Amino acid sequence: MLAYILRRLWQMVPTLLGVMLLVFIVFNWVGGDPSYILAGKRLSPETLANIRTHLGLDKSMPEQFLLFVQQVLHFDFGPSWSTQQPVGGILAARVGPSLMLTGSLLVVELLTALPIAILVAYYRGKLVDRAVTIACTVAMSISSLVYIIVGQYVLAYKAGWFPVQGWDDDSILGAWLFYIPLPLLLGLAVSLAPSVRFYRSFVVEELNQDYVRTARAKGLSERVMLFKHVLRNALIPVVTAVTSSLPFLVLGSMLLERFFGIPGMGNELLLAVDKSDFPVIKAITITIAISTMVFNLLADVLYKWIDPRVELK
Amino acid sequence: MIKKSLLLVALLVSAAGSLQAADMNKVLHVAYVAPENGFDPAKTTDLYSSGISENIFDTLVTYDYLARPLKLVPNVIEAMPEISADGKVYTFHLRKGIYFSDDPVFKGKKRELTADDVVYSMKRLADPKVNSPSAYLVTDNIEGLHDYAKSLGGKPFDYDKVLPGVRALDRYTAQVRITAPNSSFIYILGQIHIAMVAREVMEAYAENTMAHPVGTGPYMLKEWKPGNKIVLEANPNFRHFELTSDGSGQGVDAEIASYLKGKALPLVGRIEVSIMEEEQPRWLSFVNQQLDLTSVPFSAVSRVLRPDPAHPGRSKLMAEWEKKGIRLQQELMPEITYYYFGMTDPVVGGYTKDRIALRRAIGMSLDRMRAIRDLRKGQAVPMQNVIPRNFPGNDPNFHGAWEYDPAMANALLDEAGYRIGADGFRTQPDGSPLEIEMATSPTAVDRQWNEAWQEAFDKIRIRLRFKVAKWNELYKASTEGKLQLWGSAWTADYPGADNFLQLLYGPNSGQTNHTFFKNDEYDELFRKSLLLPDGPERNAIYDRMNRIVVGLSPWIFGDVRVGNYLSNPYVRGYKQHPILITTWRYLDLQK
Repeated sequence: MLAYILRRLWQMVPTLLGVMLLVFIVFNWVGGDPSYILAGKRLSPETLANIRTHLGLDKSMPEQFLLFVQQVLHFDFGPSWSTQQPVGGILAARVGPSLMLTGSLLVVELLTALPIAILVAYYRGKLVDRAVTIACTVAMSISSLVYIIVGQYVLAYKAGWFPVQGWDDDSILGAWLFYIPLPLLLGLAVSLAPSVRFYRSFVVEELNQDYVRTARAKGLSERVMLFKHVLRNALIPVVTAVTSSLPFLVLGSMLLERFFGIPGMGNELLLAVDKSDFPVIKAITITIAISTMVFNLLADVLYKWIDPRVELK
Repeated sequence: MIKKSLLLVALLVSAAGSLQAADMNKVLHVAYVAPENGFDPAKTTDLYSSGISENIFDTLVTYDYLARPLKLVPNVIEAMPEISADGKVYTFHLRKGIYFSDDPVFKGKKRELTADDVVYSMKRLADPKVNSPSAYLVTDNIEGLHDYAKSLGGKPFDYDKVLPGVRALDRYTAQVRITAPNSSFIYILGQIHIAMVAREVMEAYAENTMAHPVGTGPYMLKEWKPGNKIVLEANPNFRHFELTSDGSGQGVDAEIASYLKGKALPLVGRIEVSIMEEEQPRWLSFVNQQLDLTSVPFSAVSRVLRPDPAHPGRSKLMAEWEKKGIRLQQELMPEITYYYFGMTDPVVGGYTKDRIALRRAIGMSLDRMRAIRDLRKGQAVPMQNVIPRNFPGNDPNFHGAWEYDPAMANALLDEAGYRIGADGFRTQPDGSPLEIEMATSPTAVDRQWNEAWQEAFDKIRIRLRFKVAKWNELYKASTEGKLQLWGSAWTADYPGADNFLQLLYGPNSGQTNHTFFKNDEYDELFRKSLLLPDGPERNAIYDRMNRIVVGLSPWIFGDVRVGNYLSNPYVRGYKQHPILITTWRYLDLQK
C-alpha cells in the first residue's frame, strides 16, 4: 500500500508540470495582455513599458515559465496584478466561505439524494420511480440561473424568509445560519435531480446482480440485503463521484457566490479571469490540480477500504 | 463638587479635541457594480478605487457640491491658487490645522498637512518606480518633472532634490510652474490621482500602498476585502467642514442647503460598500432598504421608469416606487459614446473624398434613435458634438451627427464609386472587394449592437465582419492603430472641453487618440484653445474643431447615456455629481 501511495505521489510531478505548462500556454495565448487593463485611460509607451517590467512580462517566455515553477515550488504566487495584495492572503480569506457553502451542500445533497435514489431504485418501474424520474428530468432541464433568480426573488424578497444577500465577517456561525441557508437550498435544488438519477443507476445495477437474487433465495431480509450488501457495493461509484468533486469544493460556486455576495473563491476566480490577473489564476488552478490528484489517490485508498477485493497496483 | 467640575472640564476638553461630528451609529450601505483595485490614488485609475480614495484623501481644489455649471472651489487651500500673469506659476496657501488620520507611522503624534506633502505627492506621481498610470498629469504639465524622471535611468527618485517645477516656499505655501499656460491645469489639481499623501506613510508601506491609505479626508479605511467589501469610518482628525454653497437655491439644492446648514460634515459615521456585480441582488437589496443608494438596473428600466414622451431621455418613477418614497435623480452622464474608424487603415481611413463618403454613409446607415429606444431603453440622448451636453463649450444648436438616411448613404456610396457587384455587395472604387471589420466583445450587450450594425451594413450593401475578442486585446490593437471600426466611450476627468477634444489631437495618437486622426488645423486650434479662458473666443475655436471632425468624419457620433440615480426616502442631502464619484460626505440617514 505504501509503495503504491509513493508511486502515485511521484507520478503527480510530471502531471503537475503538464498542468502548469498548459495553464501558462493558455493564459499567454488567450488571456489577453493585462498591461492594457492596468495602464488606465491614457496609454503611453513609457507607462506600458513600466507596467510590463513591474509584472515581469518583459522577460522571455522560458524565464516567465521558470518563475512560475519557482512559485509553485514555494507555493508563493506573489501579489495580485490588479490589487497588489499577496495572492496567498486573498485565497486564504476566500477558501473558508466557499467551503462553508459547498461543503454543506455536498453533505446535504448526499443525505437527501442517496436515500431518495435507494428508495426509487428499490421500487424501480413503479409509480414512485416513474414520478421521481419525470420530476428529475424536468428539474434538470431548467437552467441553474433560473433557480437562483427566481429563488432569490420569491424566497428572499417576496416572502422575506431569507436575506437577499450578504455575509457575516465576524461570525462563522452567524454567516452559516443566516446567509448560507438560501444559497444552500437553491444549490440543492440545482444538484439534487442529477444526483438522484446518478446514484439511482448504481443501486439499480447492483439490484440486478446475481448475488441479490441468491441472497433473496436464501431468505435474507430485504433490509439486510439492501443496506448491508447492495449499498456497500453501490458505494464505490458514489465514492468516486464524491471524491472527484471534493477538490472543486475549494472553488466554491461561482453563480451562488456572485448572486448572494459570498466572499468565496468562485467569485474571486471570475474576477481574476475578467482582469487577466494571472497570479490569482495560477494559484487557483494549481491548487485545484494538486487537490484533484490528492483526492483521486484518496479515492483509490478508500475503494480498498470499502471493498477488500479491490487490488491497488 | 471639585470632582464634578474636573469631570466637566475633561469632557469639554475631549469634545473640543475631537472635531468629528459623525454619528458612528449611522451606517451608509452602498454597492459598487464592479470591483475596486486598491487605494493608492497614484496607482489606480478605475472609478471604484478612485471613489474610495476621494473619501480618504484630499486634493488642493474640489468641486462645489451643488453648483451647476460645475465650479471649482478651494479644498485644503485658503483660496483658489494665485496664478502669475503669464499663466505658468500657481501658488497655493495651505490652510493650517489640517491633519492626516492617525497611523502607527506617525508614532502617536498628530501629523499636519504641509507644503512638503503637496510637493512630495506631485513628485511621487512622476516616480518611475511608483509606475503611476496618471504620471502624465504632472509630467506633461509641470516643468522639469518629465526630464528628471527620464534622466533617472533606473536610479531611485530623489525626493529631496529641489526641482524648479514644484517646490515648497514655506511650511504652508507650495508653488508649481507649468510648461505652458493651460486653462485646464486647475482641473487637474482636482483629480484624485494627485491627492496629498504623507511621505513617511508611503515609504513605510512601500510594498503595499494599495491597502494602507492614510489621508486628510473625511473617512479612513477600516476594512478591505478585495472585490467583496470595503468599510470606511469617519476620520476623527477631519477638519471642521460645512456645506457653504446654495447651488441654484431652488428645488433639491435649496432642500440640501437648508438641511445641511450649520452642520459639521460628515454626518454618517460608517460606510459599507459591497461589490454586487449582478443587477438583481443589487436592486432587491435597495428596495429592501439593505442599500441606501443605487442606480436603476438596466434590466429593470421598464419596471421602474415611465419615459416622458415629450422629453427624450427624461423619465419619472412608476407610482409603485414613488409611493415608497424612493427618489429619482436623472443626470446626463459626463461622457460621449462613439464609433471610430482607424484613420491609418487602407480601407476606411484616409482623408480622400471617397473615404469620407464611405465613413459618412456608414454613419447614416445606423438608426440611432431606434438603437436608443431598443438597446438603451430610451435612457440616452443622441450625441451631436464632441463636447457633451452640459459642458462649457457645448453648443446645443450644433447638430454634428449624420442622421439616419439609408437612401442618402447609398447615393453617397454610388457617387464615390463604391459600386454594387454581381454578388449584391459593394466593391471599393478600384474594384477590389470591400469588407469592413468591426471590433466587438463577446458580451450579450455587444451582440445586440452587432445585430443593429449588421442590419445597417446590409442596407448599404457592404459586407461586415466582426472581430470578437476580449476587451484588453482589442484595446491593445486599438492603440496600435490596427482596428478598422470599434465602439468607444470617454468619461470626463474634469469638466473641460479639451478633455474630450484631445481624443482627436494628433500628438495623442496611440494614447488617447485611437482613431489616429491627424489634422494640422485641428491640432493648432487645440493648442490655441488651451491658452484661452472660457468665453466666446474659445467657443468659436471649439465650434471650428467640431466642424472639422464632422467634415472628415473619423467618428460616428453615438449617444450620451442618462444616469438614473435612486435614493431611499430616509437619505438626506443627496445630489448626484457629474464629476465627483461619491457624495457620501454630504449624506445623512434619517431612518
